[in-house]
Amino acid sequence: MSYERRGGHYGGRRRQRDDYDDRRHQQQETPDEIIKNAIIKFGEVDANEELLRLEKQIRDHVPRSIPVLSEAFRVSVTEQPYKIPHYATLLRVLHNKSDAPTEDEIPLGRLILEDFWKGFQGYVDKLAWREARLCIHFFAHLTVAKLISADSMLALLQSFTAVLDEFGVSNGRAKKAALCAGEGLLIGGLVLKPHSPTSTNEIINAIQTYTDTTNSQKWLVAPITSLTSESTPLTPPETSIEFLEMLLTTLRKLDESDYVETGDCLPRPYEIYVPFSPDVLRPYDLPLVLVPPEAIEMDALSPITAEGETPVKKDEWPEFFIRLFPSDVSPDFTNPVGYMIRTTILDIVDIFEVNRKECARLLLEYPKWNLPGTFKPKPGSTVTVEPAPGKDWQLESTIIETIISTYLLLPESSRKSIYYISLITEICKLSPSTVGPAVGKSIRRLYSSLSEGLDVEAARKFAEWFSVHMSNFGFQWVWKEWVPDLSLPIQHPRRAFMRRAIEFEIRLAYHDRILKTLPEAMQSPEAYVIPESGPSPFFDYEDPTHPHHDAAQAILNLFRGRAKAEDVITHLDTLRTTLDSSEEEGHVGNVDSLVRSIAVQSLLHIGARSFSHLLNAIERYLPLLRALAGVNSSTSAAASSGTTSSSNPEARMEILSAAAAFWKHNRQMVAIVFDKLMQYQIVDPTDIVSWTFLNGAGVGQLSELGGPMNLSAFEWDLLRAAIDKANGRVVAARRKVMQLRKEADDKRAQDNAAVNHMDVDVEHKPEETPVDDPQLITALKAYSSLIKEQKMALSRTLEGFVESLAPPPTARHPNPQARTVVSESAWESRAAWERDEWNAWETWGWYKQFCRSYAPYLGTYAETLYTVSFARFDGVNDPGADALKRIWNIATGQDA
Amino acid sequence: MAHVVSSLDQPSNYKDSQARLDRQRQSELLDKSTTLYVGNLSFYTTEEQIYEVFTKCTSPDDGGGIKRIIMGLDRNSRTPCGFCFVEYYTHAEALASMRYVSGTKLDERIIRCDLDLGYKEGRQFGRGKSGGQVRDEHRQDYDPGRGGWGAQAQRLEIERRREVEERYADAQDGPGAVASGGGDWKQSESNAPEENKLKRGRSPDDDGDNDAARTATRSRVEEEEAERL
Repeated sequence: MSYERRGGHYGGRRRQRDDYDDRRHQQQETPDEIIKNAIIKFGEVDANEELLRLEKQIRDHVPRSIPVLSEAFRVSVTEQPYKIPHYATLLRVLHNKSDAPTEDEIPLGRLILEDFWKGFQGYVDKLAWREARLCIHFFAHLTVAKLISADSMLALLQSFTAVLDEFGVSNGRAKKAALCAGEGLLIGGLVLKPHSPTSTNEIINAIQTYTDTTNSQKWLVAPITSLTSESTPLTPPETSIEFLEMLLTTLRKLDESDYVETGDCLPRPYEIYVPFSPDVLRPYDLPLVLVPPEAIEMDALSPITAEGETPVKKDEWPEFFIRLFPSDVSPDFTNPVGYMIRTTILDIVDIFEVNRKECARLLLEYPKWNLPGTFKPKPGSTVTVEPAPGKDWQLESTIIETIISTYLLLPESSRKSIYYISLITEICKLSPSTVGPAVGKSIRRLYSSLSEGLDVEAARKFAEWFSVHMSNFGFQWVWKEWVPDLSLPIQHPRRAFMRRAIEFEIRLAYHDRILKTLPEAMQSPEAYVIPESGPSPFFDYEDPTHPHHDAAQAILNLFRGRAKAEDVITHLDTLRTTLDSSEEEGHVGNVDSLVRSIAVQSLLHIGARSFSHLLNAIERYLPLLRALAGVNSSTSAAASSGTTSSSNPEARMEILSAAAAFWKHNRQMVAIVFDKLMQYQIVDPTDIVSWTFLNGAGVGQLSELGGPMNLSAFEWDLLRAAIDKANGRVVAARRKVMQLRKEADDKRAQDNAAVNHMDVDVEHKPEETPVDDPQLITALKAYSSLIKEQKMALSRTLEGFVESLAPPPTARHPNPQARTVVSESAWESRAAWERDEWNAWETWGWYKQFCRSYAPYLGTYAETLYTVSFARFDGVNDPGADALKRIWNIATGQDA
Repeated sequence: MAHVVSSLDQPSNYKDSQARLDRQRQSELLDKSTTLYVGNLSFYTTEEQIYEVFTKCTSPDDGGGIKRIIMGLDRNSRTPCGFCFVEYYTHAEALASMRYVSGTKLDERIIRCDLDLGYKEGRQFGRGKSGGQVRDEHRQDYDPGRGGWGAQAQRLEIERRREVEERYADAQDGPGAVASGGGDWKQSESNAPEENKLKRGRSPDDDGDNDAARTATRSRVEEEEAERL
């Protein structure tokens, strides 16, 4: 491959220095590898030119190995889907008789196909959906080429629609099975429909029937939506469309023309070969296949799953595509050609995730695999291709639109966000003059959709992409064009976006660098776009006139002099006594809090220089932090529960408050400090959740933005970090248990073997020796503690949302608009919304994200959590509670 | 998926000339590595900027996260000299960084990541004659982010960024100079402070079994050069 793995000059020098035989050293290729690679690289220059030469090379290859050849086809089909029509052609010519045919010669192509089938069966057995689906593409082309019988192809597709009828089929499984069946029909319809119109109709209807059952889920994950009920029409299909809806639209449209139009969607280079007449070669009958049930992951763990097993299944939600461009720039959702283009781009993006640079190159080369005239030629291209009527789209825009769609999938994309971001960066680097404008237009389109109901999580990801992208391209954005929006209410999604994007940019660069990129109107503090100064720490006791300045200095000096933690603790005791007697106001309870605040802020002050300094400070003074958190003076209850939750929750809240106050100008540091306080077990995830709902809205916000209870992306990040930490600990603890179990089993097996070997005639029953070693007992105990903590964190979060969005009359700072913004009429009049309405709207958005992204966990505890948080609303007429429950029910699968 | 293209998460063929580890052993260790070497940093890039980029590859819901960042320092001046180690809790996160972050820009420079055998005491310091990285002594070009011209001109440039210069003035060497970042979750067994004291006496690094195991691995790793070229 032409790809160079590392940047030029460093690599060069190192290679010279390296006198070892590198393990990736190019080895001599065996003849089998040569033929395999020739097949895999088929078409890289010109498929038509290479076809007959490659056919000959394959036929002449000795010794002939069908498994090698069929494996090469499998790799090619499942890893280079854009080339499938050409592989169908190659297999077609391999079905021709050899030069010296014998009487009963089986065509080479048939032998390869039969062996290829075994590989397909393997993918199905492993439930490797993407590979299975791409093999079905291949089979569908072969059906059109009359190499596979229409009957057996239909039967194959029907075994996938059968999945849709399974009792309790998961959404993820059904979605993937529907795509297998639907895309097989799309490609093979030309032959399949004339053969049996009833069967092809049944396939379409089966998919339709299934998607009709997912309407409420669609509403919950639609990228652009209102908060109102799912009964209102979804976003119009010109803005966004769900994947299976797009498939159905395509199938219906093609069905009208009896799939003749499919020829307009994809190349069929094999069409020039006259099909074999059945008496010369009977089409291959694909054997029957049964899609195996989903593997249940619990097996190995079953004994410890008595309570709270959380099989985490992602990818369970409907997927949406969004439109960023008009139909003359990228194909619209009702255009069957668009379906093929979009899904191929998605497959390339997914398959080449291991190498984003190659992925970018392949994406930009995609037009070569599609029909001529589908995309506009590259500027300056010498080849003149007649634009195809109704096509002539812009490749770069189509690619970016598709990647952005999959990046913005809710509740989360299938790969990490940063993959898609880096992929777009690579595409831009390959062709800046054509991709740059497409990216710019995408940003403007997304920006304008912010006021039309772009989901809050999608908006957060938009800001994340924007900032990382700008960081890779010199922070060059024309901010000026958004200056007029500064007249919008301060919490309007567009203004929130600007602030967030700038905050993320500053984290990647520094304050002055970003300030420089902004027009004057945005630089002023009144614009609330960028803070006045950099994200420096704020030490409450810095000011020499502060009444506790001296006390803080004394503690700082102890830290600076590396005093022992115990000595600091002793000093704090003395300080407490002094303050107790000197505090005029006599707020007895506050002295503890005051000392805690001084100590925590001073410690953070010592650790303020860098992340490493923070870690050093925390690690050096862990006993102090534990004392401040009240962990040391814990009761036996705390010790036995394993969590800190029953010791001193107020103390831990105060530690978090002190940290948030110290870093109020730097919310990145707030998140980092909180994370490490959890890591060092000074606070629990549940503490962070509680703290966030009580105080979150006040952190580092411009005072203008304070006000009643609300959650913004920052608070959501804190919540998410806490819940993920709780979930991650369960995963790690479970891994540990599994590992110890396995070790114990292995050891037992070994011992047994040894015993048997010695021929001891003692009757041996392995089941009778449940040697639960102390390590395993500890691990199991930890696991069950962490399960409890996980449940607690989830429950506390749900409760926080319920109190914010359907606030009781006694709530501290209820948002007066919490209940009103959910109504449809309210959404329609959003032009008049002010701070509180937008705040409430965003909080609702994070509640939706909470429910859908943690659905697998919430489902496990659905009953308990419902009782705790929702039972109080039973029989009560409360629009807030109704909306909360509706979202909850959809997410936990109780609405169907 | 390595049939059609090569994966970006493969370690480079960096091999320390002084290391006594054989290729086989090194490759086994790299297959489990949670640490990245990050090169071509600006001298002025902060740990928080590094954190912001590398946190995008974390999987906290899989027990992951950024464990610690170890800034590479000039041996003499104790100022950043253009490289660092980022240590995650899981191997998958290190691989993700190789795939998605290596070769992208941080602080307007294209950074390069490589899987690493793991931090060892002393490796935070540059090994060039001037105290910085060796590559900056051979460099012929003007690089404002790395102190301007090669070794000689550095001083002038660094004057301009006193803040950066002072940040690590307190950097220690020897055992325990670098924090562990926090180990695995542990049951608080009646919170025995005695036990904790004992642990702290040894090294901040043995918080948690995982770390103990890692330290053991480390001691098996033979001595190697403190930094890469």
